[in-house]
Amino acid sequence: MCLQNNNMASQGLAYDGCNFFRQRLVLSTLSGKRVKISNIRSKDDNPGLRDFEASFIRLLDKVTNGSKIEINQTGTVLFYMPGLLHGGSVEHDCNMQRSVGYYLEALLMLAPFMKTSLKATLRGVTNDHTDPTIDMLKSTALPLMKKFGIDGEGFDLKVVKRGMAPGGGGEVFFSCPVRRTIRPVQLTDPGKIKRIRGVAYSVRVSPQMANRIVDSTRSVLNQFIPDIYIYTDHMKGANSGKSPGFGLTLVAETLNGSFLSAEMSSTPQGQGDPMLPEDLGRNCAKLLLEEVHRGGCVDSSNQSLTLLLMTLGQQDVSKVLLGPLSPYTIEFLRHIKDFFQIMFKIEVQKPSEDKRKGGDKVLMTCVGVGYSNINKTLK
Amino acid sequence: MKEKWYQEKTKKKNGPKAERKKLKKHGGPTEEDARKRNPKAFAVQSAVRMAKTFHRSQDMKTKKHHIPLVDRTPLEPPPIVIVVVGPPKVGKSTLIRCLIKNFTRQKLGDICGPVTIVSGKKRRLTFMECNNDINTMIDLAKVADLVLMLIDASFGFEMETFEFLNICQVHGFPRIMGVLTHLDSFKNNKVLRKTKKNLKHRFWTEVYQGAKLFYLSGMVYGEYQLQEVKNLGRFISVMKFRPLVWQTSHPYVLVDRMEDLTDPELVRTDPKCDRTVSLYGYLRGTHLKNKGQVHIPGVGDFQVADVNFLPDPCALPDAQKKRALNEKERLLYAPMAGVGGVVYDKDAVYIDLPASHVNQQQEMRPTTELVQSLIDTHATLDAKMAASKVSLFSGSATLEPEDIEKEGLQEESVWDPNTQRERRKVVFTTEDEEDVSGSSDDEDGDSEDSDQEDQGEDDGEKNLSTFLKEARAKCVETTKTGAGAPPVKRPKLEERKGESAEVPAFADSEDDLEVSEDEEESGGEEEAGRAGDSGHCSEEDEEESDDGEEESEGESGEDDVAADAAMKEKIASEEEEEEEEEEEEEEVEEEEELCCEFSILLFLSAGGLKWKEGLQQKASDAFLRQQQAAPNLRKRVYGSVVEVDDSEDEEQELGGLFRVSRPQNSKKFQANAVDSSRFSPDASHNWELEEMLNSIRDCFVTGKWDESQDAATLLKEDEEMYGDFEDLETGEVHKDHTGENDDDDDDQEESVVKVDDKEAMKNKRLEKKQRLKERFDSEYDDGDATYFDDLKEEMQKQAELNRAEFEDVDDETRVQYEGFRPGMYVRLEIPSLPCEFVTNFDPHYPIILGGLGSSEGNVGYLQMRLKKHRWYHRILKTRDPLILSLGWRRFQTMPLYHIEDHNGRHRLLKYTPQHMHCGASIWGPVTPQGTGFLAVQTVAGVKANFRIAATGVVLDLDKSVTVVKKLKLIGYPEKIFKNTSFIKGMFNTVLEVAKFEGASVRTVSGVRGQIKKALSTPAGAFRATFEDRLLMSDVVFLRSWFPVTIPQLYNPVTSLLLPVGQKDSWAGMRTLGQLKHDLGIRNKPNADSLYKPVVRAQRHFNRLQIPKELQKALPFKSKPKQLQPKGKTPRDLQRPSVIREPHEKKVAALLHALSTVHNYNRKKAHTLQHAKHKQFLQEKGKQEEAKLQRQKEARKKLYRAMGQADQKNQRSSLKGAPKDD
Repeated sequence: MCLQNNNMASQGLAYDGCNFFRQRLVLSTLSGKRVKISNIRSKDDNPGLRDFEASFIRLLDKVTNGSKIEINQTGTVLFYMPGLLHGGSVEHDCNMQRSVGYYLEALLMLAPFMKTSLKATLRGVTNDHTDPTIDMLKSTALPLMKKFGIDGEGFDLKVVKRGMAPGGGGEVFFSCPVRRTIRPVQLTDPGKIKRIRGVAYSVRVSPQMANRIVDSTRSVLNQFIPDIYIYTDHMKGANSGKSPGFGLTLVAETLNGSFLSAEMSSTPQGQGDPMLPEDLGRNCAKLLLEEVHRGGCVDSSNQSLTLLLMTLGQQDVSKVLLGPLSPYTIEFLRHIKDFFQIMFKIEVQKPSEDKRKGGDKVLMTCVGVGYSNINKTLK
Repeated sequence: MKEKWYQEKTKKKNGPKAERKKLKKHGGPTEEDARKRNPKAFAVQSAVRMAKTFHRSQDMKTKKHHIPLVDRTPLEPPPIVIVVVGPPKVGKSTLIRCLIKNFTRQKLGDICGPVTIVSGKKRRLTFMECNNDINTMIDLAKVADLVLMLIDASFGFEMETFEFLNICQVHGFPRIMGVLTHLDSFKNNKVLRKTKKNLKHRFWTEVYQGAKLFYLSGMVYGEYQLQEVKNLGRFISVMKFRPLVWQTSHPYVLVDRMEDLTDPELVRTDPKCDRTVSLYGYLRGTHLKNKGQVHIPGVGDFQVADVNFLPDPCALPDAQKKRALNEKERLLYAPMAGVGGVVYDKDAVYIDLPASHVNQQQEMRPTTELVQSLIDTHATLDAKMAASKVSLFSGSATLEPEDIEKEGLQEESVWDPNTQRERRKVVFTTEDEEDVSGSSDDEDGDSEDSDQEDQGEDDGEKNLSTFLKEARAKCVETTKTGAGAPPVKRPKLEERKGESAEVPAFADSEDDLEVSEDEEESGGEEEAGRAGDSGHCSEEDEEESDDGEEESEGESGEDDVAADAAMKEKIASEEEEEEEEEEEEEEVEEEEELCCEFSILLFLSAGGLKWKEGLQQKASDAFLRQQQAAPNLRKRVYGSVVEVDDSEDEEQELGGLFRVSRPQNSKKFQANAVDSSRFSPDASHNWELEEMLNSIRDCFVTGKWDESQDAATLLKEDEEMYGDFEDLETGEVHKDHTGENDDDDDDQEESVVKVDDKEAMKNKRLEKKQRLKERFDSEYDDGDATYFDDLKEEMQKQAELNRAEFEDVDDETRVQYEGFRPGMYVRLEIPSLPCEFVTNFDPHYPIILGGLGSSEGNVGYLQMRLKKHRWYHRILKTRDPLILSLGWRRFQTMPLYHIEDHNGRHRLLKYTPQHMHCGASIWGPVTPQGTGFLAVQTVAGVKANFRIAATGVVLDLDKSVTVVKKLKLIGYPEKIFKNTSFIKGMFNTVLEVAKFEGASVRTVSGVRGQIKKALSTPAGAFRATFEDRLLMSDVVFLRSWFPVTIPQLYNPVTSLLLPVGQKDSWAGMRTLGQLKHDLGIRNKPNADSLYKPVVRAQRHFNRLQIPKELQKALPFKSKPKQLQPKGKTPRDLQRPSVIREPHEKKVAALLHALSTVHNYNRKKAHTLQHAKHKQFLQEKGKQEEAKLQRQKEARKKLYRAMGQADQKNQRSSLKGAPKDD
């Protein structure tokens, strides 16, 4: 890597391919290390960065100050020199190819380390298939971050408008206070699930859809626990986006305050076979059961966020019990090692024979890097 | 006599009275007693005073609180850095020498570099002498734990002392102890006492009230007095330290040894080539991550190539119960000072053997032996390790260093008498887990070995752990019955060695996994019999079935043999073969990675279906999986980060420009896959099945609870605890029956189970007690627990967890998780150091490796709060270069000074204020906010004045700046209408005007206005409206703010690279003033600004003319007087002078004489008359007085008579009235 300024030791990292694009840029921003990603879809018929990635870079540019981004002509090579996280009020029109969750996941990681508290308004698709939806992030990621001491006034995620997959038109407001240090956590006991909550949403379709979803979901989940309440959320008019659709987000809350979630949304308009709301409800409930089977204190889509916040904690031991690591998380662990030289101690916990508590769990232990928010102003 | 004896006997021995007596005897009267005895003395006298005293005591209490910090000090802390500071010739080296002699009974000659000694059972000290160079003082202040500040009492304080104190204040305040020397130069005792007192009080104001000041009274044979040194040593060895923020958040090493690793040939050909250097020292501060960034103050920023930890050269004694250290444990380690007769010079090492000491041989203590061995190296430790050989058993072959380098696994060729050929045996060195499995199969391993090999291996030769084999063999059978997976084409593996080298800890088990993949191919026949979808077959099954086949690869040998640590056979190296194999392994590696990734995914997600499979398999699996699961995962995550393989590209090249375009192979596909955090489940779980549903039943509150948490048990315990109670209303007493029930239960249980339940019962009881105690504690202690206490407890818990978490992990592994922990003796390899670092190496100057945080290796704009030091005699100028010491770094930069206006604007200042804080913005290294810094103008040479120019703190970091300076644009009216004017001369073009449309302008006289629109001619003129009509003489100006750019100068002070002897002469960029002075440039002053003699013209004022009419009306007092002098009287007014005749003269003289006599007589008579009259008045006064006296007497008499008469009258009237009647 080129050493840009003669006197400094800071070195860069080089990667290939566009996979785990967000991880690399986010970690680069947090660690201050330069990153060069080459061979981005270089063998593809349509080489280079996609629109949603370009949109992500633009968002990153909005929340940072002094970032330097260089992209070659075909878009297959990206050089990113991170600036300092600035925050403040940000408005961003997200690309429709990916949902707002794609962008928001990165913002969740960056938001606590800004100079001024972030108030972001993101517009685009709020619920789709590929990324965690807003409802899910709201119900799982936010309480998770609270455990790390990111809490207080102005920590909020609101769905202003809902926009389904192809058309979009949704709007999300996210605000997060700034922290100087992150607290170490010990999340080793998930506790038992005490209640299940959920949101069944529908836009531009019959409001009855949501009720049908709820009924079918309850039919599956009632075998386990009676305390189930699924809200129906039918948005109308200007708040309903541009495309019809419906979906369900389920969250299981445990006694120790950890959240496991599952979600499913209808197939986007004009893509694939339409889905019956009953099927959707049942399948989503099964997904929740799957998630419960995986278990852990953090659900599978928030694993990487947890691990990042553990890494960025003070120089103390943090522990968290996870379900099986997702491939995304595994790659994230590698990236954490690249950027912060932090290695996690990974121990597999076998469930004992007589206990019926799902599959294997993984206990992750690490010592934080002692990260302190260098962006925050001292007054 | 007898009676007394009896009395003695019958003295009360027990009872309340005796008790009281006893209490009195032992403890005396307690406060409680006093309160009881004399309640009035303890009564509240004044509520106000009581409140006041309470407040005060609370205040004092809270003042003592520090913010609680997590205690992160390691169990075996690094040596304490003691920096000995002082001006030259004050006795620094002598003091160090004396202290070392005091602790270790050894004498040191020249003190250069850090000297580490073991001073006590739990304490080590590193002494470092600080010379008079300000660079050294700054560097050492940052790493010091304790500062011994030497002061020449015969001279008093010197500037260096104060400079060092100020440096310390900025960079966190280490412990400071003053030491007064040269006290023997005072002959007069009174003067001595006075000097001591003065110095002490000045020292106290600088450090803190009551700071320890030591007096070293005099020298005896060139050394300080033994007792005084001993006392000082005692003070040092019991001293406690408060953690300093910067030091506890950054790792650092005070280097005590340096080796040049550069290839000598390279140095010969190019003496100026960059050097690779290894630096040694104790790690301090916090955990150091491998491959991190470090800053070497005086050299620059570097990337660490490698870090290793070495055995402690100055280890603490083993824990033994004894009071003092014995002679052997008093270690001394100072390679730079040439301990053990080795003296360092530039780049050579001389071994100094004085003739008289040759036979003494330093008595070969283990101390010196170790030190010597460490010192006498030209080669690095690695090189030495490479050359050394170790034999584990006497008479056995030696182990080559490569074995160790490969971290545990290594192949060795072994001659097998059975098969009459050479076999490659894997030598396994470390790993506990492997030992576990290894121990079991040690015995039968040998016997089975030969059989298996004979069966049909061609090239692979190894030991197999039978246990694993058997387990696998079973699996084959089970999986055969099931549906077999379609065989996957896998690359053939010859040998894998590097793989295991990457991650030592779990190498064996991971390899098991990988072997499985490799061998699928080789054991083709067996695979053919297998079928089925992998989704329903957990990964273990696959793997184990594979392993059951013949292990034909060398790799499998490695891991299996890893298990059996038997190394009794002869070992000989076979390196050539290995090299060949290494090449191949690289290619294979990444493809394997993929496979394993895939399979583990299956393993992880398919865990739920395990119960479906046969129990027989489970039993064998259980053990294996215990061994493998965790390591596999770890290896999978970290052991094999997919690396870009350039060789692949080369392969694809079809000559020149053309490349083979393949459909995306799996790796490429992954590199460009969809980036989503969602973990979509595989379809293996069928949630329709009852079994599946049952598998997660206990995750819900409706499921079965743990014994300890189950509501029923808890309820029962509660009853036990609170079972008995008395209903106060009814007087009914409820008895607890649960105990009996328990007994019943127990009886029943006993009949069912065995007596070993006793143990369980005991545990249960203990548990219950514990819980009871907890509940009690929570009820009674938490009542007055404050927030502070809670916080402290939390920190305590965290500290305990930190300690316990990696306690039983071996260092090699622990280092990977935690980083290198402070207290370790580490070796850091740093490439591409400038050659001057080595050629100009001077051990008298400290080399510090300061670790940098993740983003501290970048540069940006820093905003700081700065104040000129009150002892610095000049103010600082904006844009003059200044040398800052910030974080680990010393660098030159160009600050801009500014001050914040009340509206938040940062206004540029030309100079720093004299006695006030101001802001400063620099371009410099990113450093966390709250870090202190100090500034000096030059670091070269010694100056008489105080050198520290300013101090301050970092407030903010940014990539842009907001400093502005005021800019006034001036224009003149060209044409004036009513309130509108055309203004010219302010701008040059229409465009410029357009930018300022709507801006407010003002005239000097204060008329406000606004820019309206540009005029076409002349260019830059515009129309503006004002609140009043302008004059042509008015000047119009526009006040604006212009953003200032900060010069991007960051120039590290590279003082360590200067030649020996000139290290204190680093000169960077000069200030403008210096430049002009040096070049002899003098500014031509503005002629208007020069001072000229003032010439003042005489002023004349006309007379005040008052009109006649007015004059008339004025009163006489105010009327203008005839001020002019009298002129000549006109002739007609002049009177003629009279001249007398002689007769007339005579007459006149006579008359004059007569009148004189007359006058005299008259005067005489007058005085006479006056005296007479005076006498008369006197007499008259006397008479008058007498007369008054007389009258007074008479009156008195009269009044008396009248009074008596009156009284008589009254009395008679009171008495006589009834008679008269």
